[in-house]
Amino acid sequence: MRRFKVGDRVTVLDKPTLFHTRTQSYCRGRTGVIVALRPDDWVIPEDEAWGRVDGRRLPCYMIRFQQGDLWPDYRGPATDTVELEIFENWLEPAKEAAQ
Amino acid sequence: MADEDPRISPVFDLVLRAGASETPKSLASNEVLLHVVHDVGGQPDVPLDLTEHKEAPWETRTHATCECLCWRGHWSSEERRRGENDMGQTLYAGIPYYGRWILVAAKHLLDTGRITPDELSAKIEEVRARYAAQATEVTP
Repeated sequence: MRRFKVGDRVTVLDKPTLFHTRTQSYCRGRTGVIVALRPDDWVIPEDEAWGRVDGRRLPCYMIRFQQGDLWPDYRGPATDTVELEIFENWLEPAKEAAQ
Repeated sequence: MADEDPRISPVFDLVLRAGASETPKSLASNEVLLHVVHDVGGQPDVPLDLTEHKEAPWETRTHATCECLCWRGHWSSEERRRGENDMGQTLYAGIPYYGRWILVAAKHLLDTGRITPDELSAKIEEVRARYAAQATEVTP
């Protein structure tokens, strides 16, 4: 059961990370839009990284961010974007006021 | 720190303070502990070498070895990536890409008891001796 759909605006949670994560620090606390759903559910990296191949399975989303939202001193074109794959446990509905 | 809690180890205390900005950035600060080594996006770096890299035989063999270990159910790529982070910043940054792969593969096989350190050492010696013998053959 997916919590989000394509077109939803989501904010990446800014959780403490020790030892291993695949959620880039530069996107945490930032808001983007879901542009694709990865098929099926996947074992989350937090489990797979410790050999828990039967670990928790969650949906994974492709999320598009505006480069200007990620880097305070970004000087490229305003249309520049980056897309990141983020698991559902790292996402919450967008905090639009934060932008 | 004036408000240290004696019930909590200093390292874990730093973790609990995640987000607290008063901790100075030092080797043991929460920023260092909480920053995962391979997460380099936005970090300062030297200019990148953009020349095309042609993979050496040992690099393609390393890739194949690690994939076969996945295929046979010994580990996953994510365990390898975590193992690379476990090397720590100094080794991670100082060892080439596939060097990290093969070192972590060796460590994983040791950790899981599939090989022993002396078996690994013996194999390294054997390969070294073979290469040395080949080198003397081609040098008249």
